[in-house]
Amino acid sequence: MIMKRLLPALLMAALLTPLCDGLCAPPLPDPQRLKYPPLTFTPPEPERVELENGMVLYVLEDRELPVVHVSAVIRAGSAYDPEGREGLAELTAHVMRTGGTRSMTGDEIDDLLEFTAASISVSAGTDTASADLFVLKKDFDRVFQIFSDILIHPVFDERKLELAKGLKIEDLRRVADVPQRLAFREFRKVLYSGNPRGRLSTIESVGRIQKDDLEGFHKRFFLPRNIMIAVSGDVDGKEVIEKFRRHFAGWHDAGRVHPVLPPGEKHSSPIYYLHKEGPQSTIIVGFLAPEKKSPDSYPFTLLDFIVGSGGFRSRIFQEIRSNMGLAYSTGSYYEGREGYGVFGSYAITKSETTGTVLARLRQILQDAGHRKVLEGELTWAKNAIVNSFIFSFSSTDLIATQQMMIEFHGLPPDYLRTYRGRIKAVNRDDVLRVAGQYLRDDRATTLVVGNEQNFDRPLSTFGDIHKIDWK
Amino acid sequence: MNDLNLHQEQKPLVFTLLFSLLLAFLCFFGPSHSLAYDLEKKVLKYELENGLVVLILERHISPTVSFYIRHRVGALQEGDGSTGAAHLLEHMLFKGTKTIGTKNYRQEKRLLDEIRKTGNALDHERLKGEQADRDTIDRLLGKLRHLQSQAKALMVDNEIDRLYTENGAVDLNASTGQDVTSYHVSLPANKMELWARIESDRMMNPVFREFYSERDVVMEERKQTIESAPQRKLMELLLATAFKAHPYRRPIIGWPSDVQSLSMDYIEWFSRTYHAPNNTVIAVVGDVDPVKTLGIVKKYFGTISRVNLPPLQITAEPPQQGEQRVELVADANPYLLIGYHKPTLPSFDDYVFDVMDAILTRGRTSRLYRILVEERGIAESIDTANGLPGSKYPNLFAIMATPRHPHTAEELEAAIHAEIEKLKKEPVSLRELEKVVNQFRADLIRDLDSNNGLASKLSYYEAITGDFRYITRHIQVVESIKSADIMKTARTYFVPENRTVATLVRREKP
Repeated sequence: MIMKRLLPALLMAALLTPLCDGLCAPPLPDPQRLKYPPLTFTPPEPERVELENGMVLYVLEDRELPVVHVSAVIRAGSAYDPEGREGLAELTAHVMRTGGTRSMTGDEIDDLLEFTAASISVSAGTDTASADLFVLKKDFDRVFQIFSDILIHPVFDERKLELAKGLKIEDLRRVADVPQRLAFREFRKVLYSGNPRGRLSTIESVGRIQKDDLEGFHKRFFLPRNIMIAVSGDVDGKEVIEKFRRHFAGWHDAGRVHPVLPPGEKHSSPIYYLHKEGPQSTIIVGFLAPEKKSPDSYPFTLLDFIVGSGGFRSRIFQEIRSNMGLAYSTGSYYEGREGYGVFGSYAITKSETTGTVLARLRQILQDAGHRKVLEGELTWAKNAIVNSFIFSFSSTDLIATQQMMIEFHGLPPDYLRTYRGRIKAVNRDDVLRVAGQYLRDDRATTLVVGNEQNFDRPLSTFGDIHKIDWK
Repeated sequence: MNDLNLHQEQKPLVFTLLFSLLLAFLCFFGPSHSLAYDLEKKVLKYELENGLVVLILERHISPTVSFYIRHRVGALQEGDGSTGAAHLLEHMLFKGTKTIGTKNYRQEKRLLDEIRKTGNALDHERLKGEQADRDTIDRLLGKLRHLQSQAKALMVDNEIDRLYTENGAVDLNASTGQDVTSYHVSLPANKMELWARIESDRMMNPVFREFYSERDVVMEERKQTIESAPQRKLMELLLATAFKAHPYRRPIIGWPSDVQSLSMDYIEWFSRTYHAPNNTVIAVVGDVDPVKTLGIVKKYFGTISRVNLPPLQITAEPPQQGEQRVELVADANPYLLIGYHKPTLPSFDDYVFDVMDAILTRGRTSRLYRILVEERGIAESIDTANGLPGSKYPNLFAIMATPRHPHTAEELEAAIHAEIEKLKKEPVSLRELEKVVNQFRADLIRDLDSNNGLASKLSYYEAITGDFRYITRHIQVVESIKSADIMKTARTYFVPENRTVATLVRREKP
């Protein structure tokens, strides 16, 4: 029976294949000409509240699931580490979470959180620290008590501090085990050299940190006016604001923290080389870039997309991976922060093609400053950014946190509403201008981590070499 | 093979049942969001006539939608000598189709055929190794380069990615596993047709442009993610040691010499054979109308022909009969992996291993974290994983541990064994079991918060177990597990002769 049914089909196939093998008029519509229904969406707006002590709160109700999310952002990160105590921000965040509070030990907190399947995390980045809470609605009250105590009344238990230090030191001992991790870490040091953001923790600096350092750091940065909190989920707005009043009212304001000075402009373009045995080199070429608040951040976002962050069709990926087949990971990234921005381009390639790839990477970057991007490229990049914008609103947690971050970074409240319009308004001249201004050959910071002996061309043919050691 | 027959015989019944389910769904379940979110009722399951299974879940949080396509194929189906084929195919499916990525397919096809012949001849010569003729290689290489540059002029590079990104896609990616190959993307909800247009086309009409340079890219991928990452290389070694006969012994990315000589012919056969609709599960989760979604899926995927899947002859792993130990010497700090053979889901033991996984390493209060990291300070990190490297066949329960200097891997290993022994001898407390149940319950709720995560889970378990409801029923089995079950499973599988230990040893500087 199967044969009977298949036979005519096979005959047909035999007849059609040589004639038709993909050459007949395609039955499928041209994907470029598909028509889509309009997309309308008005994202919910979180409510903004300022408590009496100056703490700002964003609240967004969402009854879909019986859960509550709380996200806090604090102006305190490794950029604020005192000299010689690098690693302090990170350790403070770590031990706030593990070291207990005035009413519970760290172990009791762990036990309660894990038994109720709730989670609290505290961590420190470069310019900011954050604290997050996820909890089932039924446990919100008691877990929120812990969350607020961790922020206001942490106890930096000595034993937990020693453990945190030991774990960090072990982590630092292992930095060079994976060459890419080593490369991106060293790149921060050289890109931000002379700025606190370029001072990273070492085994020695972590070893020096004591309990009173953590207490001091907490006291200096964890302040009502230096923190913002977003709450979303299955809560009643009024009730939750009351709850915050109750828990945080006694937290006194002791002023505001001023951001650390942005990294200074570069006046040279050294090539740093770090020796590491292995089959591949990690190549990073970076520049300081527009801060988030700058009008330049819009054309620069498009520039970055076209040059290397816009997926397979972006220039670096297209050239170094698709055309040349010389890297699996390659592209660029741009992040506009408060007071400064950072752009990096990278490729990981076998030692024997290091010179070829570095030369091509530099050429792509310089070309962006000398020739306008194509009209088609710009349209593609704008459409991509404008069309994917909707994903910034894909959960209420994201919406509330995002609105909080806008205020935290001092951006105008209509930042999101005007974002797409400002992207659309960018033209090819704007992109050329920012490329010429920020991706200047004489301000590039270049780092190559690999084994020079196997390179296809000596690095010295690219410029002045500064050999560095990772320790 | 048995599964396959059963599936086909049952098909008409399944079809009818599913169709009534569809009607029931449309009549009784609106898009309301009750607190008691009943996933089983909210997911619409439908099987097309060509065997393609579609899962649809409405969520109206934002006007976005996530798509997952899972083909029930992976490294498992590769022949020896052709490891890495499933993964290279996954890369090749981003190179376009007969109608996407070309300026003139008729002309392009002629060149691609020439490229294939030349590439085959080149690989053939190279595989002779020492006896290869240098001049022949150079001549073929020159010819290949010439053809490639001609072909380049006729293609529109990376067009699938461009179309997706231009239309606002995020999370665009694909992955290859031992059992399953997956293609996923999230789009603004009004762009569903673009997804259907591209994905159905690349199932039917893939064109392997830039084959040889992409093979080079995969070689770089291997150097980057395995050769330069000692802990991952150690995992490759653990699996190659623990499995002697079953295909799970082979790395998904492939052994270097295999990848270097994978042929277009084999990849094409692999694609035609295994990316069949009757070997595929699709999940659509987000702000969609199920009826319209089904209409679009039928329109684009419904015309793809069913394929007779070749019988899958998988060598069963014979029982291990003695501990196996292996070392990797590398320029890196020590690291330790321990693997025990065990049955896979949906056997009861597999659920017990899920529970032990949580008891041992989930969170700061888990046994191994508390003892090894906090109390004794001999580990920097400790983790376990149930079900490596795949879930379709019996797999491993793995323990991954990082010793904290100056403590050694040996010291850490002994401490781990001591804790494992306790699972065999002392009943786990009720509170510990209750904690695990609470955690799994909360996971279920937490997972509901993401279109992408839901689409991933629904399609994965549908592809592996044949029923996405594994996700919701998992918790019921977990709730039934008693401390005696844990002792029994631990005693059965956590025995030295069932164990493989892999250690990363630092290379001594000369």
